[in-house]
Amino acid sequence: MNHEPALGHDEIWLLLPWLANGRLAGAQRAQAEQHVRGCAACAQELATQRHTCALLTEPERVSYAPGPSLRKLMERIDGEARPAAAEPLRPARRARAALAATWRPPGLAWAATFVLTAGLGALFATAYRWSQPEYATYTTASRASSEVLHLAFERSLPVGEVEELLRASGARVVEGPDGSGIFGVAPVAPGAAAPGTVSPQLRALRERLAADARVRWIEPLAAARAEADAAGARPPER
Amino acid sequence: MAEPTYRGTTGVAREADLIARVAEGDRRAFEELYNLYHRRLARFLSRLTRRYDVVEEVINDTFWVVWRKARDFRGDSQPSTWILGIAYRKARGAFRAAARLAEQNLESEREPLTTETPATSEELRDWLAQALAQLPPEQSLAVQLCYELGFSCEEIASIMNCPVNTVKTRLFHARAKLQRLLPQLAQPVGGGGKAGTP
Repeated sequence: MNHEPALGHDEIWLLLPWLANGRLAGAQRAQAEQHVRGCAACAQELATQRHTCALLTEPERVSYAPGPSLRKLMERIDGEARPAAAEPLRPARRARAALAATWRPPGLAWAATFVLTAGLGALFATAYRWSQPEYATYTTASRASSEVLHLAFERSLPVGEVEELLRASGARVVEGPDGSGIFGVAPVAPGAAAPGTVSPQLRALRERLAADARVRWIEPLAAARAEADAAGARPPER
Repeated sequence: MAEPTYRGTTGVAREADLIARVAEGDRRAFEELYNLYHRRLARFLSRLTRRYDVVEEVINDTFWVVWRKARDFRGDSQPSTWILGIAYRKARGAFRAAARLAEQNLESEREPLTTETPATSEELRDWLAQALAQLPPEQSLAVQLCYELGFSCEEIASIMNCPVNTVKTRLFHARAKLQRLLPQLAQPVGGGGKAGTP
């Protein structure tokens, strides 16, 4: 039989936190419990320790959303998987790149591209509207808005996590779920989009949701659908 | 959101399996492990700083190491001890400045935080959080690892990479300082709070 050396008051005083959290085991536990029964100071201290344990293990009032943090980490991991992209430029190439940047400020180029795309989008939309007959039917109105994304979450995802995922992505549910678990979601801050196009907010939302592993399926953007429709089955003309 | 938990032997086996899958590059397993620990680590670290961006940085640095070093996990310790050990080392680096500040605070802080009697356990819990924030991080973390996360003395020694006696000494000093800062811990809470001697 293994005989534990007898513990004195000072040693037991040091062990009280683990008597309080329930992790003191075996002979040490037995000795500590016996000592506490006969020692008023240790009994008082044990009560304080248990009180502290109870306070620190009470349920958290603040809720943490791991989704956005995890996304950042996965981007970092993906970045590491592409070391070539992070390779520093050699001095000569750096000089050429600096010169090119002088002539083509990236911000300006993006702005110009955006304005051009928006302008062309508006022009095509107007031309398309003019080519349509001037009446409307209820069947056309029933078609889903281009500002709604349809998606399905992982089947085992708890409701709370769906809620957190949507909040973190900046989405709100506008449709569903239908019989097969498909939801329609839209950006919390919707953007303006010309007919046949999608807003940058919706595009960004789709990218965020598509990058989340908890989203099992997400439909292509409406603009892509419209192009597919135009290339394939056009509605018969009256 | 409900925190996913795997308690007991099954939980340990489940976490060990997740780490083995992470070692093979399984992203789903990595995400599951991340979600499993995020809340625990966030709560653990947020006692050292109110800056959530710093907490998030430490958590992600921890899991960056988990992703890269999962292959090195041999199961000699429990998964939680291994992961908390990484988090502890990351936190110690991140909060070094806070440690110096806490030492200074403690030198000047000889008086209790408050002389009032707490009406509820919630109020006392807030004061306790303030008192913990005034301890040096080594002591504050030891308190949390013991009281909040329920680790044994040997496990805390493994996480903090120090002798068992150092853990006992850190807790001893932390207890004395908490007693000085918050004598109300020794008294039962009035008003029907949950805290108290079981």
